[in-house]
Amino acid sequence: MSAVEAAPRVEGRSNRGTATWMVVPALVLLIGFFALPYLTIITMSLREASTRAVYGEGFTLAHYTTALGDFYIWGILGRTLLIGATVTVISLLLGYPVAYHLAKSRSRWTSLLYIFVLSPLLVGLVVRTFAWMIILSNNGVANQALKATGLIDFPLQLMNNSLGVTIALTHVFLPFIILPLLGNLQAISPDLAMASRSLGASRMRTFWKVTLPLSMPGIQAGTILVFVLSISAYVTPAMLGGTGGRTMSVLVVQYLVDNFRWPAGAALAIIMAAVAVIFVGLYLRLTARAMRRLP
Amino acid sequence: MTALTIDRINKRYGNLHILKDISIPIAQGEFVSLLGPSGCGKTTTLRCIAGFERPDSGRILFGVRDVTHALPEQRDIGMVFQSYALFPHMTVAENLSFGLEVRKVSVADRQRRIAEVLAMVRLEGYDKRYPRELSGGQQQRVALARALVIEPSVLLLDEPLANLDATLRDEMRFFIRDLQQRVGITSIYVTHDQAEAMVMSDKIVVMSAGTISQFGSPREIYERPVSQSVAGFIGRSNTISGKIAEALGQDSYKVETPCGSIGTTGPAGLAKGAEVKIMIRPENIRTLRHDAGISRQQRAGEAGHGDNALTGAVVNSIYQGSANQLAVKLGSGDRIVVDVGGRNPLDVGEQVTLRFAARDTWLLAS
Repeated sequence: MSAVEAAPRVEGRSNRGTATWMVVPALVLLIGFFALPYLTIITMSLREASTRAVYGEGFTLAHYTTALGDFYIWGILGRTLLIGATVTVISLLLGYPVAYHLAKSRSRWTSLLYIFVLSPLLVGLVVRTFAWMIILSNNGVANQALKATGLIDFPLQLMNNSLGVTIALTHVFLPFIILPLLGNLQAISPDLAMASRSLGASRMRTFWKVTLPLSMPGIQAGTILVFVLSISAYVTPAMLGGTGGRTMSVLVVQYLVDNFRWPAGAALAIIMAAVAVIFVGLYLRLTARAMRRLP
Repeated sequence: MTALTIDRINKRYGNLHILKDISIPIAQGEFVSLLGPSGCGKTTTLRCIAGFERPDSGRILFGVRDVTHALPEQRDIGMVFQSYALFPHMTVAENLSFGLEVRKVSVADRQRRIAEVLAMVRLEGYDKRYPRELSGGQQQRVALARALVIEPSVLLLDEPLANLDATLRDEMRFFIRDLQQRVGITSIYVTHDQAEAMVMSDKIVVMSAGTISQFGSPREIYERPVSQSVAGFIGRSNTISGKIAEALGQDSYKVETPCGSIGTTGPAGLAKGAEVKIMIRPENIRTLRHDAGISRQQRAGEAGHGDNALTGAVVNSIYQGSANQLAVKLGSGDRIVVDVGGRNPLDVGEQVTLRFAARDTWLLAS
């Protein structure tokens, strides 16, 4: 817009024309690095397997039918979705109070809390995951602490399963639910809560009837982010999941890299993406009903 | 009967003493305005009454009930905000129903009371609208209805008209005042707009820097201000400095000024020789052309204004439509602002005589 205002009469070009041109760089990026690779993967998933090249000559649906008929893959798909859902719910339950506090607080320590909230993102992915391995392994910090207090005699299985993956993913994705919620909660006028209480509603009732419904957009945005990020995470489940916590991303990489089954791996990736789209779509419809009265 | 008693409340934020020993008695059904510039403590006082702030010391009584430590939801108040604060995810009817549901009013009674109060604020048929579908004035009427439908013991209004445009604001002043009188509800109104406070209130509390400058009826505050700052805050005023030369009666004095001796009215008990300021409102001064031949009848007609006469020169003239505002420079150098009705026959530079009655003056301690 500023470019248009600065040169208002350049060949009588309209605002609209200029604005359209301005999306071109982003569009090129999107097509080049998102749409084209996706098309390649879709094509690859429909190719016949080959031992001499990445994929063979002909086209086939076999990779899809095989995958969808395999209970093992259904199991991993189910586990991936379960981990995603669990991480999302726990992040929401942990993140909402933090966002609420940050939105209300006028203390000067607030900026410190901001840094705490963002801290999981400030440490490299692999380093952070190694730290979790140190904490969660059989003779790791957590188990030793529990043993020292006499609560357990034998170490608890905290990693190489879904539990470890869930814990570590919740840690890293917490900021992704806190930040959208915080923005949302800060935009709600404090007058509304005061009005509610002046009308006789307790703090609790005010929260359920006023604050929570008005923070639905933040909840929706945050939960979708965390869910999508969780089910597509690779490094964390690969390092902490072992075989007991193997997710779809890990399986896909195993197909591609370890087994050299590119078309089958591509089919798995497409199945995973399709399932994610279906789940997010359903979730959007569900939450849209809760938000239909919001401005 | 005292509906609401604010008894010596104090409030500090760190080193800031926001409220200093504020005491206000409010009678049943009275409309009281808290008036003052921003930062004077008026909003903090209102929040203490509502329960959103807790005074450090002092008491707040609703009737005989001590509510100093009660939560807002336990106080039985209705509150109207500058931002309207309507719940955006609820229709008008649901907004109005909110307080009634908390009070466990039956569905039938709720519907009846909502219909009644909507009629009262002239918004029949708007019950299914969302706040965003209403104009600012309509939203504020819904906010008023929402506060009134629960039939609270006190109505608190926090600058409710500040977000409305000038025409609507004038209309709403009378609307709110009329509604308040019909319902007969004790109301406290926070505003920084002196004209608003004047036309709406039974009593005005003029506040400044955490203290009450004056508490009285609009007439008392306008005609008998206790200080120059109150006089300056409410309407326009002129002041002339002088010394009490002689007490002529209980509340009338002769004051010696650089412009000569002036007959004045003032609070009882001012000592001879005390430094004072004479306040005169611009509308109480008559302006006469200095050298014009004034007929006998005119002179007779001016008798009431004839107590005092000062001479000076017109230095400025502002046309305001219904009146002209003249600035007159006296021989002593004081500038006096005068209202002149109708078409202005006086030009800048002309010599004029200013006449005003002793009863239209008021002495302020210097």
